[in-house]
This record gives sequence, structure tokens and C-alpha cells, in this order.
Amino acid sequence: MNTLSIAWKEMKHDFRDFRTMIFLLAFPILLMLILGFALTNVFNGDVSVDNLKVLVKNTSTGQLSEAYTAFAKGVSGQSGITFDDLKAGVNGREEVEQNRYADYIEVSDSGIHLYGSSRSPIESNIVQGMLSSFADKYNAAAAVEQQDPAKAELIIAATHQTDYIKDTAINADRQPGSIDYYAIAMTVMIGMWGAMTGGSLIRSEIVHGTAARLAAAPVRKSEIFMGKVLGSVVLNMLCVFVIVMFSKYVFKAYWGNHLPLIFLILLTEVIMSISLGLFISYMMKGEPSGGIVMIIVQLASFLGGAYFPMGDDTGGFLGSVTNLSPIRWGNQALTEIVYNNALTAALPVMLLNMGLAVLFLGAAAMMMHRKEGI
Amino acid sequence: MNVLELRGLTKKFGDFIAVDNMSLQIREGEIFGFLGSNGAGKSTTINMISSLLRPSGGEIRILDRDATKQTRFAKMNLGIVPQDLAIYEDMTAFENVSFFAGLYGLRGNDLKERVQEALEFVGLSDKAKSFPKNFSGGMKRRLNIACAIAHKPKLIIMDEPTVGIDPQSRNYILTSVRKLNDSGCTIIYTSHYMEEVEEICSRIAIVDHGKIIAEGTKEQLKATITDVKDIRIELKSLDALDLEQLKSIPGIRVLSVQQDDNMVRIQSDAAVDNLNRILKQLIDSGMEIRAVEEQAPNLETVFLTLTGRNLRD
Repeated sequence: MNTLSIAWKEMKHDFRDFRTMIFLLAFPILLMLILGFALTNVFNGDVSVDNLKVLVKNTSTGQLSEAYTAFAKGVSGQSGITFDDLKAGVNGREEVEQNRYADYIEVSDSGIHLYGSSRSPIESNIVQGMLSSFADKYNAAAAVEQQDPAKAELIIAATHQTDYIKDTAINADRQPGSIDYYAIAMTVMIGMWGAMTGGSLIRSEIVHGTAARLAAAPVRKSEIFMGKVLGSVVLNMLCVFVIVMFSKYVFKAYWGNHLPLIFLILLTEVIMSISLGLFISYMMKGEPSGGIVMIIVQLASFLGGAYFPMGDDTGGFLGSVTNLSPIRWGNQALTEIVYNNALTAALPVMLLNMGLAVLFLGAAAMMMHRKEGI
Repeated sequence: MNVLELRGLTKKFGDFIAVDNMSLQIREGEIFGFLGSNGAGKSTTINMISSLLRPSGGEIRILDRDATKQTRFAKMNLGIVPQDLAIYEDMTAFENVSFFAGLYGLRGNDLKERVQEALEFVGLSDKAKSFPKNFSGGMKRRLNIACAIAHKPKLIIMDEPTVGIDPQSRNYILTSVRKLNDSGCTIIYTSHYMEEVEEICSRIAIVDHGKIIAEGTKEQLKATITDVKDIRIELKSLDALDLEQLKSIPGIRVLSVQQDDNMVRIQSDAAVDNLNRILKQLIDSGMEIRAVEEQAPNLETVFLTLTGRNLRD
């Protein structure tokens, strides 16, 4: 009962602390909004392919010339592709090198040669694909002609088709936009901020002078300890809940279909963070602990990609260090669950968080037990 | 019956002995004054009685039970009014008292009644829904007391309950202390204001270097220094004051200076007639004397004589 009284007092007291509430709620929402809009392009993976210009030198004769002309005519104008004939005195390869054309094609009786541009690899690949397709059909027709000339005409006619490029929507996995990303990142970061409230749990009683009165009351240290931790966990989880709901319904961030599991992961993160803060406050014994906790939280936020995405390809020392950030664990697990429905991603991070929480809480409880007063 | 008994109580911090083999008995219904200058061991003793510090040795008995072994019983019968305000600024007066009283097992209507009673006792019942951050210093001090009395403890420890407040609030608190005592509470009272202690305490202990160096009623304490006279000399300025020269005058036991009012206080052997010599010494040093007063020993004289220091040092 005393534990609940202390937890309730803790929540009431913190909710009335206007500055703390602004810090816990308004700051992340504002940051989500600013970073979400400022870094929209970082998350935009679309590539625009239009006005694909191809330079052609056609010196072929006979069936190849006829077939190629039909092919070029059919394709030209489709999907923004333009075939220009090479003018006298113009060097086709130089035109490609200067990036005035995506590709240069030489069609002669000996075959078709394509010179692509390394500066426009996507466009080059498209043209290469169309030409390969055309060449395959032409070669097939040439082979059939040797057996049955009448049927070869049908195949030649097939090279006249115009649907070398087909726009097909591929149902790829949903990818997060900037607001989606920061909704997760900021929420996980808020969970980590539990370390700051945890760090001030006991210190605030000393600052208020109430530590003496609490210690003199017929309450066990364990009840004080559990009550304060419980109150802080509930307060931080309520903040996390508000951030998630605000981002979901106001910013329209995507949170997938497994919100209860997401809240469960965030709960373990909050418990771990509060335990960390409490542990550091007992280790440091006083005021400097607030600064140390702040540095740890900010480092974890930066390395965990709360302010700017840290890609999986981040290598070297930085890559190794990023894996130490609880915010990164949380971000990765939540992203997997939200976008890939990978529910198995939850268990490792939850076990890790709770394991650390047990270690930190155990150490803090031991130090509290040994200490005179609270 | 003894409400509190200390038997050889000792507290060591490393090699430093803060409380040294202290023994004391406080009887039911007493207002017991606990006097000592800063660092004398007074707060350490109070903290051990309140279970905030563990004794290094000795025994604390509250209502005849060992307080270090039966901690819950001891705490249930103890109320503390710490020197530093121990209240939550963001919780109303009612919530503050209710929270702390709730920790003593009070619930429901019983809790509500006791909280209202405590607030009424300290004159804050009309401020029950107000936040302490909007209170004056005196009101906060009164709330600090309310938080300690709602569970009706047998023994209340008041550590400097009137520090830094206006005279009106001080009078209110002193009246409240008497009323609490009348209702059956035993009170341990510490203060830097000697006149408060003299006014309300029935028995007094003077603590110095972790030991009780004198104990008794104020009359008994004063009687211990009948051979001392208390001379107060007010000077225009203390700039040219040479204490060493004054100390060399025969009969002088203790010299102290109160910077605030340019006052020199001298405890001297009553049998030695040295006032003229003291005044001559000061005048020869070029000092301007504004007033001279020779007083009968009071509690402050006793304290100064026994410890060699002012209470506020």
C-alpha cells in the first residue's frame, strides 16, 4: 500500500511540474515535426527517369535495317524515349561522355553496339534491356528463316511491338517516410529519457528536504524504492503513449498493426532507462549524476539515430559503437515490427532491456540498502 | 515513564567521533531543549533517534523499547520537524499532510479527519487546497509541523522550527508547541534562539563535542555559574579591538564578540572587580564606548561559559 501511495505521489508531483512535462512532451513532438519535414528528401527513394535520349548511327542494310527501323519507330515516343540520328561530324561517344545523350547505338550489318553512360546507369540499363530483347527476337527470326522463311516474317513483325517498357507497380515492403522514421525514433528516445527521471528520483527527495521525513516514516526502503520506480515508469509510459498517439493521429505516422507489442517493448526500455538513471545516481552520489545521465542519453540518442538516421552500413568504430545504444536496439526492433511484421524482433530487445534493468536495479537497491537514510 | 532514553550512544564517521557515549533520559510530558553550536553533535544525535543514521554504539530506547531493533514501533511513535522544510511545493497543503500521514497507516475517513485536525492545529485549515509554493515562510514552517503531527506521535523532535520566520509566525509556533505538550506529546526542541528555549523548555541539555556537558532545568543550569558575572559592552566600532590585551586582564574567563551589534561579551569571575580596568583598556585603545551593562547569568551566559562559544557560532 505504501508503495502505491509513493507511486501516486510521484506521478502527481511530476505531472504538476510544468517544465518537466513540456520537456517530455512538447520537445519531442516539435523535434519530430522539424526533423521530419527538414529531412524529407533523405527518406525519398524515388528516381525519376524521363526524356531518355538515345543517339543512333544506323548503317545497316536489308532485314536488320528494316527490323531496327520498325523497332525504333515503335519505341520512340514511348515512355519518354527519343532516338536521334547521328549527324555528320558529330562523335556519338563524345555526346554520351558529355551527358547530352544517355546512350549511343551503332547499328551495322555486323551487329548492334551500345555505348552507355556511367553517369546515367538506370537509363542505360533500360535501353540495353530493350536492345537485348530486340536482338533476341531478330536472331530467333534469322534462325527460323533458314528453316521456314514464311514463319520468319511473323517473328520479324513481332519486333515491331512497342511494349518494350511496361510500367508495373511492384508491391514492395512499405518503407518509412521521414515522419514515420522520426515518430519511432523520437518515441524510443523519450523512453530513454526515463534515465533522467530515474536519476533524479532520490535526489529530488533530498533537494525537497523530504528524504529525512520519508526515512523517518515507518516505511521500508524497498517500498520507497519500488514506489518511486513504479511512479516514474507509469509517468514515462504515459508520455510515450501520448507521443505515439499524437504522431499517429496528428502527423499520420505509420505504426503498423502491432501497437500492443510496440508498447511492451517501449515499457521494457523505460524500465531499463529508469534503472540506469537510478544506478548512476547512487554511483555518483549527488549532483554530478544528472550531467552524466544527460551525456549518456544524448550519446545514445545520437548513436541510436534519434536525430539523424544511422544506416546499417555504418562501419568501423562508429558502426560498433552504434550497436551499444539502447535507442538503436529499440529503433531496429520497432522498424522490423512496423514495416516487416517481424514479431520475433521483439523478444531479443525485450530480454536485453529487462536483463539490464535487473542488473541496474539490483545494484541500486544494494547501494540504497547499505546507505544511511535513503 | 521515559519516552526516550539514550544509553552510551556513539556515532563515528571514520576517525571522527560526532557523538561520544551520550546518555540521556527524557520523561513523558517534557519539552526538552537540546542546545549546541554547529557541529556539536546535536543533529547527528537527532538523526540517530529518527533512524536516519545508524548508531556506531550504544542504545536508543523509545517508550522503553529498543528503537534500533523495533524500528517500526519507534517510527510509529515519532514525529519529526526537520530544520530544512520537508514538504512538496507542487502538492497542496492537504495532500502533503495526507501523504505523510498515510505512510503511518492512516486510511479513509480517519486519515481525512487527522489531516484536517493537523491543519487546523497549525492554523492552515483555510489553506488546505493551496500550494505551499504560494505560502509565506511562516506558513511553510507551520505546514512542516502539520506533516509531523497528523499521526499523533508520542514524541516529536523539532529541529529549529522557527528559523527564518516573522515574529507573528514564531509566536504561533511556540503556542502550538505548548498546546501539543498540553495534549500529552513529549517534545525535543532545538533552537538557536536562546530566549525560545528559556521560554518553553522544562529541561535542557547542552551538547558540546558530542557530549552532554550540562543538563537540568534552566534554574539548575543558571545555578551552576553563580561565580560568573556577564558584562556586555557596546562599542562604536570593533576595528581597533585587541582581544588578547583584554584577555590578559585578571578574572576574565570568556570573551566573545557579536559583530552585528558591535558588542563585546565578557564572562568574568564574580569575585574579581575588574570592570574599571576593562573599560580603561578599551578607552586607551582609542575605542568609543556606547553602553555598559552587567547582567545576572541567563541561559546564554551558561552556554557561553560552558562551551566558550556563542550558540550561533
